[in-house]
Amino acid sequence: MRAGPKLFHLCVHFVRDLSCLIFGLSSSLRRMSIVQRMASNKASSAALTFELVAKCSTTRARASILTLPHGPVNLPIFMPVATQASLKGITPEQLEATGCRLCLNNTYHLGLKPGQEVLDAVGGAHKLQGWKHNLLTDSGGFQMVSLLKLAKVTEEGVRFLSPHDGSPMLLTPEHSMSLQNSIGSDIMMQLDDVLVTTHPDKARMREAMERSVRWLDRCIKAHKNPDRQNLFCIIQGGLDLEMRRECCREMVARDTPGIAIGGLSGGEAKDDFCNVVATCTELLPDLKPRYVMGIGYPEDLVVSVALGADMFDCVWPTRTARFGNAITKHGVLNMKKEQYAKDFGPIEDGCGCPCCRPIDQEGAIGVTRAFVHHNSAKETVAAHLLTIHNVWYQLHLMGGARDAIIADKFPAFVKEFFNNLYPDRKSYPSWAVNALKNVGIDLFES
Amino acid sequence: MSSDGHEPTAMTFELLKTAVKDGGARLGRLAFPGRRTVDTPNFFGLTSRGVIPHVTPDNVEKHLLTNGTYMALEDFIERPQQYMTRSPPVYETPSPNNKPLQSFTAMPSSIITVLGSRRLPAVAAPMGNTNQSISVFTSTGFQAITTKQYINAIQTLNPDIAIPLADLTHKTSAPTSKRALRMAERTDDWIKEWFMEMYGRNKEPSKIATFAPVLPISYSIQWEYLERLSEEHQSNPSVLSGLAVYDADLIPDISSSYQNLDTLPRLALTTPSNPHQVLRQLSLGMDIFLLPFLSTASDAGIALSFTFPPPSSESSELLPLGIDMSSPEHAISLQPLTESCTCYACTTHHRAFVQHLLCAREMLGWTLLQIHNHAVLASFFASIREALADGTFEEKARQFALRYEPEIPQGLGERPRARGYHFKSEGPGEQKRNRPAWSKFEDEKKIEDKVADLSIADEQNGTSGLGSGVDSVAETPLVPDENADAKDLEEMGFAEKAENK
Ligand SMILES: [Zn+2]
Ligand SMILES: [Zn+2]
Repeated sequence: MRAGPKLFHLCVHFVRDLSCLIFGLSSSLRRMSIVQRMASNKASSAALTFELVAKCSTTRARASILTLPHGPVNLPIFMPVATQASLKGITPEQLEATGCRLCLNNTYHLGLKPGQEVLDAVGGAHKLQGWKHNLLTDSGGFQMVSLLKLAKVTEEGVRFLSPHDGSPMLLTPEHSMSLQNSIGSDIMMQLDDVLVTTHPDKARMREAMERSVRWLDRCIKAHKNPDRQNLFCIIQGGLDLEMRRECCREMVARDTPGIAIGGLSGGEAKDDFCNVVATCTELLPDLKPRYVMGIGYPEDLVVSVALGADMFDCVWPTRTARFGNAITKHGVLNMKKEQYAKDFGPIEDGCGCPCCRPIDQEGAIGVTRAFVHHNSAKETVAAHLLTIHNVWYQLHLMGGARDAIIADKFPAFVKEFFNNLYPDRKSYPSWAVNALKNVGIDLFES
Repeated sequence: MSSDGHEPTAMTFELLKTAVKDGGARLGRLAFPGRRTVDTPNFFGLTSRGVIPHVTPDNVEKHLLTNGTYMALEDFIERPQQYMTRSPPVYETPSPNNKPLQSFTAMPSSIITVLGSRRLPAVAAPMGNTNQSISVFTSTGFQAITTKQYINAIQTLNPDIAIPLADLTHKTSAPTSKRALRMAERTDDWIKEWFMEMYGRNKEPSKIATFAPVLPISYSIQWEYLERLSEEHQSNPSVLSGLAVYDADLIPDISSSYQNLDTLPRLALTTPSNPHQVLRQLSLGMDIFLLPFLSTASDAGIALSFTFPPPSSESSELLPLGIDMSSPEHAISLQPLTESCTCYACTTHHRAFVQHLLCAREMLGWTLLQIHNHAVLASFFASIREALADGTFEEKARQFALRYEPEIPQGLGERPRARGYHFKSEGPGEQKRNRPAWSKFEDEKKIEDKVADLSIADEQNGTSGLGSGVDSVAETPLVPDENADAKDLEEMGFAEKAENK
């Protein structure tokens, strides 16, 4: 982790300044190998093109364009989760209007409803939900293990008892691929052996990591549409950084079009989370997208971007909308609180989402906090409006980070972000302060 | 009259075709400056707490095909227990165009707003009304609202159309003649006060269009009240812009007795439960309808499927008025909800998606059905107007009655969660409104409690819902239905049956 920033400092300007390349070539061998890898800022595989547009000259943050079968998306990106092929009551048209071009469906849920047969008959999940843009699906394994407490992982796959009649069932890597092929997602995830990072048994953790590698091989073999669907591997290894490194090497060797860092978003300490992300990004190739699974709190996103991650997903922004929570740059505000009953301002001042933008602008709805308060937990429309706002906020946050990276003003962006969130610097979370310090940002320096 | 110096209200209503005397279907046009013009017969959307259920205001404007909405004051004036002294926020809404109700609800400015006292249909109040007040049912319970408070509310909120208070029982049984007489007397007293306060000699006359109630009691009991309406209108047309009719069968009597009231638009507060009743009331001379069956059908997973006139067919079998979209028969159908419908739901999505959404209890299912069902009604009324214009209405209405089933199907799909203000418990014997969602590890109650705890926790934290653990709440059911066995799961392709080892 320590070696990272220095190395990156040396070759950061390559995108906007070719002369950097020459400077790079004249440097040490180690650097040379990196520069050669960067001789092009673009890499393609059968169903994806990754173009690195800019890199932050201080941190490891990257701005890139990921072109998928259903169009290009700008990274870094937050991907909202439309679990059952629908994003909490908002129409695909409304989701599109937030700027979203890549969202998630859950394989586990679509496998249950509507089921593979229907997906095949309908022609996949894009067609099912009328979504013209990109979809990413998980493997189904995570939900299985976390929702069905009776699930047991064996080398064959995830064993579980049928919830109704108790007869044993099995979800294998092959089956997960088959389901995701039927779904037709632009990005599909390998079935992995997921353990909570805080799992105490080191031997079991190693087994899970190694098994995930073996399962990736089975997934690659079983994947029927590599020309139009991208299979991403998932790095496992818990909080053991050496195990993570080992997993990175194994997974990278298998050359999937994109790479995910898995097993986080659990109960681990935030410092540990950052160490794992930083350890992995350091070893991952530049010209592949890096997806940190299951995270969505704004601080986590901003810090992870600084650590070199590109893609994120989480149900939290849309789920929390149902509880009346609005995500704003000054923190999460619960619209059910009495203080908003007569607050006739927008959900967030200065927000450009359809709910908040000034009423005289195109597409403005003119929603006030008072109105959201009035209908929170009473009419579904209040949740729909907050969902639109929250998704916009998350996408816009990543869009802002991207613009800052391209303008090479990312450290200032990060400082402003934390300054807005915590008016009192003393309450900055130490994990964020430390993680950012390690990539060259001192939050306390003005 | 204008000789009084009274400006007419901004509303205009033009009757285009009134061939039939003594009631009878008629063609008209209702217009407010700056709002969409409403060709009549037509319908207005019905709101709950200021929203068309499940439809965000942007979609109301873009996709709902309705030109007006009805709102109930009782939806805005609850008194939360901890904040009993707080005045209702809606009254303090800043509004650049001086339309606080519209601003508060974010209702698009192209849409006409109608404000009445009660939801439609209204819950009967146990304590009834008094000489100066009616009982209303808010989300925090019953409360009384006085005639004076109501007039103040109307003046503050400034809807396009307001319906003065009527003394109603909101019970299905007809009132006794004694009660009916009191209803007429009170309503008469209240309208006197209304006219005085809204348009009185020493007042700046209100621009709000008054649609006076016509009570659901016999003409002979309320004729004095109706007489007053006619006389007031005679002497100053701007005090009365329309009638809010609670019983369509009174229209012929009013029509024959008071020709000046005949020129007024009639808004139906009759809650017809199917299109047959709509056609009947329309034939009696009703102009604008409020239709609770629209949202009821959407919540029940029903896509309305009737057209006017009905499709021609050899078969004598009755056609259904709606299709249950939760039925598995639509699971792989890429057809629109109904053939020839051009609504957003039908042009962008298909039955398979709506079926999936309903089975998965995803809220978007109800949203899409709302959009479709409102579109079906919009085209139903458009075709009726065409038929009225070309003189084929009566024949087509006859065909409609013969061709369609009498009632809208019930629907087997699970409904959205019903809220307390939607209904009043009828007592211990009443069936539960919502079947608890299937869930593996915790029953519904526990999850509800957990969610409630979490939101309270969030609230106490003030600014943070972070790490609250809300994600651990299983909000999406785990299995397709509680009877699915391993074989079903395997057939669906979800996983394979493992060999017993
Ligand atoms: Zn917003
Ligand atoms: Zn339709």
